[in-house]
Amino acid sequence: MFDLDLRSRKPIYEQLVDKFKEFIINDVMQTDEKLPSVRILAQQLTVNPNTIQKAYRELEVQGFIYSVKGKGSFVDGSAKKVSSDEVKRIKSDLEKLLAEAFFVGITKNEINELIDLTYEQIGGGNGND
Amino acid sequence: MVMIKLTNVSKQFDKEMVLDNVSFEVNKGSIYGLLGSNGAGKTTLLKMIAGILKQNHGEITINTHPIYENPALKQTVMFIPDLPFTFPQYTVKQMAEFYANVYDTWDQERFHKLHDLLGLDVNRKVARFSKGMQRQVAFWLTLCTMPDVLILDEPFDGLDAVVRQKIKNLIIQDVADREMTVMISSHNLREIEDICDHIGILHHGSFILEKDLDDLKSDIHKIQIALKTESDELFDQLEIVHQEKRGSVHLLIVRGGREDIDQIIKSFNPVVYDLLPLTLEEIFVYEMGGVGYAIENILV
Repeated sequence: MFDLDLRSRKPIYEQLVDKFKEFIINDVMQTDEKLPSVRILAQQLTVNPNTIQKAYRELEVQGFIYSVKGKGSFVDGSAKKVSSDEVKRIKSDLEKLLAEAFFVGITKNEINELIDLTYEQIGGGNGND
Repeated sequence: MVMIKLTNVSKQFDKEMVLDNVSFEVNKGSIYGLLGSNGAGKTTLLKMIAGILKQNHGEITINTHPIYENPALKQTVMFIPDLPFTFPQYTVKQMAEFYANVYDTWDQERFHKLHDLLGLDVNRKVARFSKGMQRQVAFWLTLCTMPDVLILDEPFDGLDAVVRQKIKNLIIQDVADREMTVMISSHNLREIEDICDHIGILHHGSFILEKDLDDLKSDIHKIQIALKTESDELFDQLEIVHQEKRGSVHLLIVRGGREDIDQIIKSFNPVVYDLLPLTLEEIFVYEMGGVGYAIENILV
């Protein structure tokens, strides 16, 4: 399904959370789609099942998935409402990147174009990057 | 549910105190990584949990029952020592027959499945195999007894990368399917980092740290920072474990939550600011440094 970067400094459960968020936001995983079971994912990725359980719990707390007892975890359709912390983090990341962009001489117009282009791609509904 | 529980356990060999008042718990279905300096008492601790050695003081229980000289309980507790033992002259098949006789839960079907997976000859004498292959045989036999608790001392030593992955995968399957509890001691911190959810660091016979791995990693950070104007005020506000200066960039190891650190540092308007999680290897080195077991640059 996907690979984890075991050499990364980022904890594995954080990588899992981010990966699933990316899938859900980009519609790679549809609303109400079932996530792989902890058991299967653990075996596929050779990752501790407790770590996967933790990632699923975190995704549930953040509102990206919901779980049904005895059935498994599913993508929550209302996931697009992201927490304010997340918004803050993304904004600060963007600021950093934009400052860098201006520093290397990318113009404001070019950035505006990029914004329009990205917006179209997401709005167009095809989840391809 | 607690599977392995140690309460105030001490162990002495002659006059030498090897383990001093150790207490901790391992939950069912958890994979616990035991780290420590050389001679810290890791193997002694594992042997006591396996019921091979008897503690001088304290209590060791598995599933609430004392393990020492408890044959019924030992049916479900398997220990692979750093040098796996097999009878001389025995073939893999003969060893398997021996295991099947001793362990009621022996799964013959699994033995055949693992035979296909590992591809070792069952009619060969175990002693004739290479070191790595002997270790594979140990895992092969052990996993067929369907243990509830698996205790491993330096388990991945001498295994090639492919086999290592196979073995890890088998262990994880048993943890996921049957909630097997695993204890691993290793010096290969990368290996531990990938597979364990809990970590304990042993030094001179007692724990200097014992925690959930993710909590551990989210509580200590590596920071690179450069300020327009140097200010000691910033450093006073942080809980600094280690500090270095390279040119105008400060390298800090800081304890605390990410958000708190972020807030403090951003209020000083740094020119350069990076915050990275630590690898387990770095955590180990800095924690050990904290108890006076530091890496020193010695010229010889």
